[in-house]
Amino acid sequence: MTGFLLRRLLLAVPTLLGVSAVVFATVALVPGDPVTAFLGPGAPAEARQALAERIGLDRPLPVRYLDWLGHTLTGDLGTSTSTQRPVTAQLLPALGQTLTLTAAAFALVLAGGVLLGTLGALRPRGWTGRLSGAASTLAVSAPQYSVALLLIAVFAVHWQLLPAGGTQDAFGAGGGALDQLRHLLLPATAAALVPLGLTARVHRAALSAVLAGELADGLRARGLSRLAVLRHCAHNASPALLTIGGLQLAYLLEGVVFVETLFARPGLGRLLYDALTARDLPLVQGGVLIVATAFVGINLLVDAAHAAIDPRVRS
Amino acid sequence: MTAQRLPDGIARTRARRIPAVALAAAGALLPVLLAVAAPLLAPADPSAGQLADRLLDPGSAGHLLGTDSQGRDLLSRLLWAARPSLTAGLLPVAVAGLAGALVGIAAGLGGRATEQALLRTLDVLYAFPGVLLAIAVATLLTPGLGSTVLALSVVLTPAVARVAFTETRRIRSAEFLEAARVSGATWPALVLRQVLPVVAPVVLVYATSLVGLAIVYAAGLSFLGLGVAPPAPEWGAMLDELRPALFTHPWLAAIPALVILAVSVLFNSLGETLRPRVGDGTEAAR
Repeated sequence: MTGFLLRRLLLAVPTLLGVSAVVFATVALVPGDPVTAFLGPGAPAEARQALAERIGLDRPLPVRYLDWLGHTLTGDLGTSTSTQRPVTAQLLPALGQTLTLTAAAFALVLAGGVLLGTLGALRPRGWTGRLSGAASTLAVSAPQYSVALLLIAVFAVHWQLLPAGGTQDAFGAGGGALDQLRHLLLPATAAALVPLGLTARVHRAALSAVLAGELADGLRARGLSRLAVLRHCAHNASPALLTIGGLQLAYLLEGVVFVETLFARPGLGRLLYDALTARDLPLVQGGVLIVATAFVGINLLVDAAHAAIDPRVRS
Repeated sequence: MTAQRLPDGIARTRARRIPAVALAAAGALLPVLLAVAAPLLAPADPSAGQLADRLLDPGSAGHLLGTDSQGRDLLSRLLWAARPSLTAGLLPVAVAGLAGALVGIAAGLGGRATEQALLRTLDVLYAFPGVLLAIAVATLLTPGLGSTVLALSVVLTPAVARVAFTETRRIRSAEFLEAARVSGATWPALVLRQVLPVVAPVVLVYATSLVGLAIVYAAGLSFLGLGVAPPAPEWGAMLDELRPALFTHPWLAAIPALVILAVSVLFNSLGETLRPRVGDGTEAAR
């Protein structure tokens, strides 16, 4: 087990280095010469040379990359050009907000995916099975921004049942746990639908296979109730659920760009949107780097968990 | 090959599936036809607006789906927008299908060094959540249809390459390939005549299942201001344009969202009805 984990960790190192190189390149290769942009096209050559030296642009690209990598590894992601504040100081609080939203959405993904998948596996040809299949297709096809806009139109503007954005009410009982949950419900639903549909699909396939196998036959032959058979079979179908669940957790991180922007939640996605609008490259760079690193980390955790419950994976 | 007698169940499912595929294909063709026929169908000029008629709700006289914040007819804009929006979804899938098949086959047939180099590069691209990679690539370019197509091609290629690689690996040491090698087939002939006929159908079906996703991503990039730029009509940009009206005219603002959702469902249904016909591609799905 330890060997397996170490091997996986070592494999993640080149991936993360590659990720950092791509992120660095997106800024280094951005069209337009920063020196000309700063000094104007008519500047004398000496002034251009001096500025290039001062901001380090006279050095070759690989050297600049290593320098940037060193700063990044020590937690220094540079200064945001739109707010003049350190990028790290802006990213960390936003990350907390995003993790809250992701956790809420993930709970919906698991609950809904298992429910929909089980319904589909129990009676694949009955109306419940067909309905669950159609529902998963609809969920998988639903873009987060479309769902977010539709939810706001129906639940916040038309029926005025739930808040349309923000994280808490400014007045009255604002800030309490219940109030924060009310503010989470719509954005979490918008973020959850696509992963929920994919999870339902995979769980349905895995559970159907187990239910059609010898284990289920044996359990039925011993006279177990339908519910008991389902419980045992669901246990055996759980590795597939774990793998797809982990992948979806990572996928949730990308949906937040749209969801947080539309629901005005101060998370990473919203920050990234604002940074893009302001063409604030260091902030974009830092945000993309954090999300991609989290993505790799989650995949690593999923592999580890998979190896822990299924010995066949380790070899 | 002699005709095989299939077990009853399989024969029946296959026979039943053909109308389903035809139905799904017709469904996916509908938005394409609407896009092609936009000049004939659009009731008004998509970029000419009457400021007096701004933000009319759906169902208003003369404007079936209402008007946007500049008084332009929404139905006409949606129809014209189908052209760039569908192009931005279909073209990257075609590019990624070709590039991914090439990379996948090269990794599958090449030596250990080639295989590892290509697979590790794909891993790096895979490490980015799709939308973020698209954003990263699109920020490098001037916003427009071309940058969207390029960004999405980069995002989709690794997934296609994985599928092509798996399929090529499966047949790498098959007897028919060995036979072709022994009889002196050159590399291009080997790839074109032996490998491609096996890999192409799988890649084609997998690529079909990516079209819905690509359309959704493309509209998302325009929504973020990285795709087709206003005033040209495009679904994602229209979503962004109508967003300020969400609180005063919720149904009007919801229309572009519904259109993107519907088109995505149509293309995904086609991908899904095709998928069981060539093995189960779910392991590569994202």
